[in-house]
Amino acid sequence: MTKYTIKRLLQSLVTVLVVATIVFLLMRMLPTDYYFTEDQVMKLTEEQKNDQLLAAGLLDPIGQQLLRFYGQLLHFDFGVSRRIQTGAPVLKVIGTKFAISMRLGCTALVIALIIGVFLGVMQARHKDRIFDHIGTAYTIFVNAVPPLVSYSLVLAFGAHVLNLPTLYSTRNVGKSSILPIVCLALASIAHYALWTRRYMVDELNKDYIKLARIKGMAFKDIMVKHVLKNAFVPLVQYIPASFLMTISGSLLAERFFSVPGMGPLLTDAITRYDLNVVQTLVIIYAALGVLGVFLGDVLMMLLDPRIKLADKGGSR
Amino acid sequence: MSEQNQKQNQNENPSNGFEFVEYSPEAAERIGYSDYSYWKSVFQNFLKKKSAVFMAFVFFALVIFSFIALKIGKYDYSSAQIMSDASLAFTSPNGEFWFGTDNLGRDYWCQVWYAAQISIKLALIVALGECVLGVTIGCIWGYVRSLDRIMTEIYNVINNIPTIIYMTLAALLFGQSFRNMAIAMITVGWLVMARNVRNLVLMYRDREYNLASRCLGTPVWRILVKNIFPYLISVIILRLALSIPQTIALESTLSYLGLGLDVNTPSLGILLRNARNYFLQYPYLLIFPAVIVSLITITFYLVGNAFSDAADPRNHV
Amino acid sequence: MRKNTARLAALALASAMVLTACGGSSSQNTGSNDGGNTDAGNTSAIKDLVTYEAPIREQEGFFILNTEKAADLNVLCNMYSPLLEVDANGQLRAAVAKEWGTEDGGLTWTFKLRDDVKWVDINGNEKADCTAQDWITAMEWILNFHKNGGNNASMPLALIEGAEDYYNYTKDLPEAEAKALDTSKMLEMVGIEAPDDYTLVYHCTTNAPYFDTVMTSACMYPISQGLIDELGVDGMIGMTNENMWYNGPYFETTFTMNNEKILTKNDSYWDKDATLFDTVTIRMVDATQQYQLWQNGELDNISLSEADLRTIYDDENNKDHAYLAETRPKKFSYQMHLNYAKNNEDGTPDTNWNTAVANEAFRLSLYYGLDLTKYWSRSNFINPLHNENVCYTMKGLLKYSDGRDYTDKVQELLGMSESDGEHMRRYDKEKAEAYKKQAIEELTAQGVTFPIQIDYYIVSGDQNALDTQTIMKQIFSECLGDDYVNFNIKTFVSSVTKEVIQPGIHSYYISGWGADYGDPANFLDQERYGYDGAYYSKNYSRINQATDENLIATYKEFSDMVEKAGEICDDMDQRYDAFAEAEAYMLEHALTIPVQYETQWQLTKVNDYTKMNAMYGAQNYTYKNWETSTTPYTTEQYEAFAAEAK
Repeated sequence: MTKYTIKRLLQSLVTVLVVATIVFLLMRMLPTDYYFTEDQVMKLTEEQKNDQLLAAGLLDPIGQQLLRFYGQLLHFDFGVSRRIQTGAPVLKVIGTKFAISMRLGCTALVIALIIGVFLGVMQARHKDRIFDHIGTAYTIFVNAVPPLVSYSLVLAFGAHVLNLPTLYSTRNVGKSSILPIVCLALASIAHYALWTRRYMVDELNKDYIKLARIKGMAFKDIMVKHVLKNAFVPLVQYIPASFLMTISGSLLAERFFSVPGMGPLLTDAITRYDLNVVQTLVIIYAALGVLGVFLGDVLMMLLDPRIKLADKGGSR
Repeated sequence: MSEQNQKQNQNENPSNGFEFVEYSPEAAERIGYSDYSYWKSVFQNFLKKKSAVFMAFVFFALVIFSFIALKIGKYDYSSAQIMSDASLAFTSPNGEFWFGTDNLGRDYWCQVWYAAQISIKLALIVALGECVLGVTIGCIWGYVRSLDRIMTEIYNVINNIPTIIYMTLAALLFGQSFRNMAIAMITVGWLVMARNVRNLVLMYRDREYNLASRCLGTPVWRILVKNIFPYLISVIILRLALSIPQTIALESTLSYLGLGLDVNTPSLGILLRNARNYFLQYPYLLIFPAVIVSLITITFYLVGNAFSDAADPRNHV
Repeated sequence: MRKNTARLAALALASAMVLTACGGSSSQNTGSNDGGNTDAGNTSAIKDLVTYEAPIREQEGFFILNTEKAADLNVLCNMYSPLLEVDANGQLRAAVAKEWGTEDGGLTWTFKLRDDVKWVDINGNEKADCTAQDWITAMEWILNFHKNGGNNASMPLALIEGAEDYYNYTKDLPEAEAKALDTSKMLEMVGIEAPDDYTLVYHCTTNAPYFDTVMTSACMYPISQGLIDELGVDGMIGMTNENMWYNGPYFETTFTMNNEKILTKNDSYWDKDATLFDTVTIRMVDATQQYQLWQNGELDNISLSEADLRTIYDDENNKDHAYLAETRPKKFSYQMHLNYAKNNEDGTPDTNWNTAVANEAFRLSLYYGLDLTKYWSRSNFINPLHNENVCYTMKGLLKYSDGRDYTDKVQELLGMSESDGEHMRRYDKEKAEAYKKQAIEELTAQGVTFPIQIDYYIVSGDQNALDTQTIMKQIFSECLGDDYVNFNIKTFVSSVTKEVIQPGIHSYYISGWGADYGDPANFLDQERYGYDGAYYSKNYSRINQATDENLIATYKEFSDMVEKAGEICDDMDQRYDAFAEAEAYMLEHALTIPVQYETQWQLTKVNDYTKMNAMYGAQNYTYKNWETSTTPYTTEQYEAFAAEAK
């Protein structure tokens, strides 16, 4: 087990490093003119631009830049931001933002888990009856309709009917978080309801359930003790990753409600040519993604003793 | 992500035991002879799903209507583009302007239908592109053993880089146009398809009957086409169908961020984005494109699911 | 002089990649009133102001010498004090400098400083006295390439003696060595000195009778050596609101990125008579959401989006109908910069357009023939004529000694009467028809094919720009006819400079110029022929690549007039007269065509006409001496303010 864990983590490290390298190279594909604001492109002479690029080390051969980048990574030095917050260490910039995204994301996720699983159980229990159909219609709607549309509907409804603030405010965090959380939860609820229902229906058709019923166990007990527990196992695998990835925030929802979180940071950083911020964000996201998968596997193993990690052989 | 492939209810409860049956030569004949045809079963199964058939009908009606709508509308799209009239700005839907007018007083009806055509076109092109690229790569990935390890690693790496980075870079580097958008989306979208195809190929290529076939000297292509391909069809169709709502959703999100299509090719995403500025005062500007987008995406979602169930040979009786 | 200015306008147009902020939003503007004291006894004044900024314009840094971005300076001007500031009429007034002047026609400038200005930290603890040394330290920082990377250096380099030499000197030094420099070498080389702690002397490269107006710019703000010692040279760029030193009217006590900033009054601010708010909260609000916050009472002023304005204006019973207030024009004068050396997209010269645009009759047919009223309606459909711009130089920038506006003189020379508020003054259908006929005749003879193709470029994701140019297309079609010209809206990806202006594929480009300092030369120099620092004629009009002799002769004539005007340094009235004549000459020959000012509508509890009316420099958003009211101002009140300001 330990050996397997170490192997797995090392592999993940390689993945993260490769991801970082690729993004590093991708960003260098942008013309260096993006380094300057529109104003500067026009006003500075070629010589002045060169001077600035030189000072920033952007004219060095790409290999040399890459080595320098690795060197910094080795010291966990992620550099300073250039345009997002001039001169501020990247980690500090991220530090001010990720908590907000996580708070919204985790709240939405918890709500979604509770409602979604409950909905899924109810659907499975009342399979092919009206409740099931309504639930299915909901999941289809949320999965199919573009988020831009559903968010607009939530916003219109929230603003006009419920009179809720549509703009995130640090002074009224509770109330102004409601709409973004609803938007984030909508999709997750559908996701959990869908899969809970699926796994439960599968499980309900299994022989041991039939046996249990023939034994005369109460249907309710069967549902909770056997079906739900077993159906929950495959669902659990993705939960750690979902929680971890709330750090990255939701681009659309945060833009939509002006939440000062992590969501828009990545695109902002790209368009402002803030290389250090882009690289750091990608490294963090990749690391969390890999970690999330690993934790999911561990969790699954804990819940279901039949599953042995080492058998699965490394990469996913 | 939500591929579902509802394996429904089979046997409810087999009733009370066995019965003797008289021997009948005709019945024996019927059992012995099979006129099973793959595609026939697919369509038979599909047609059994009434809701899906209905939705498929709705979709085709929508596509056809988008052409008719542009013809019967009182304003032609290209000329209406320059026929702005400030005094008509934000006119609610009426007999003259069936969908009302936009902020410049231009007819909204022709804009919505024109945009719908563009969105559908983009979604279909992207879906097809993903399909071709994804199936090809997926088959190679699944069939050639030695490639599996490296391909999996590549998949992991690409998959760990946020899509938004690709899309932003593509927009910045190559510009925003219909063609660029389609290419960018295909280059990102084939991943899931390839992964699914690879899993299935891997699963079926070493089944006993395939081994047996191979031992009997059946050529590889025949095994692929006759024995493995039918299993792929359902997944391919499912991905194809799901990719359409996803493309439309991604396109509208990108449009909202200003990374979508060129303003000269208005998609429903762009209309939705613009509506964001006005819909609290003039809700119809949101509602019309939103309803059409939803119709397209929901129909595809349902039709895709139904068709992939129908295409799964395991569901053929 | 090379490179210039903070030109936010083009930025706002181009960088509107994030589209939600379309309506253009930033409540600048300013006012006229006596400036020094506002009604301190007014009990209905707002104590804690809540205002807004567009989300794309987030503050990126805290070090005023290092930034040229308006989004930064709009906040930072409240945290630092300059030598001079402007009043509500746009005139210079004393700030840290009590007295100032020149005795040799603008070659040497002496500033006498107050002795009661203090540097304090965010908690109000006194850190140091603010003396003339701080301006010298700041100048060294700006001119030291390795310290400031050339930011903000353009005006000092052009105007201050020896600045260029010192800049190049530091550039050639190794980085570490340059960063270790103190001010002694700079004092040797550059024309700046401090005879005592409260006197500052600048030596200019040429006679610059306007040099004092440069003192309002970010490049002329002070910085304390004590702070550099505390943070280290490398720590300066990344200073934050918490470790910086303040000598301005406010502290930035809270900074929540992408959400809000809170400024709190600095009790040790030197100007004890100033009316300040206890706190100013600046929230980042998208234009589409401002009205909702206003209705909830969460904002004290908002700009109105197209849809909101339409709703309120059309409905007499709307509760905000009576409170619609028009903003003052922003500080930019927008021009149509014709391209005299246009290329096709494949890089070959577009001879058809180039021949046409070199023809004066053709240019004049555009000049007289385009009725831009609809175009102006885009941002102000209630009073489109308030966006009418007939001059090149921005109105309100310069005043004759008798108080007359410089642009009035230009209008007089152009033979324009007072606006009637209904008709565009320049538009003259008959003249346009005549010039059109003449142009068709002359150009047909030269082998030009009609309709002439006009290419205008917008950023590809910007719906607002598309809407605006759709209107322009319509104007061209209606006013000049489809047989004469054909207007094409084309798109670029992200950089107008890189993709459009530098390859020269535009027929014309509309761009607005905001002043760097208070002199007509700052505007007219941008159009000179064969002059390296001419921002527009060199880059946008590409006149130096043009070949038509008549055109070049006209341009040269104009450039001579500007140059001659610039040599008049002793009598400002004469100087302005000479510039006005040059400007009128340029417009009469339609070398560029004035397009618009920017006004829009708002709901507000702030009297814009009491704000600093900074046409140049960084001080537009200084929250000082603002007159406010706890109830919104009505349309009538605002009209009265506007009338009074005239």
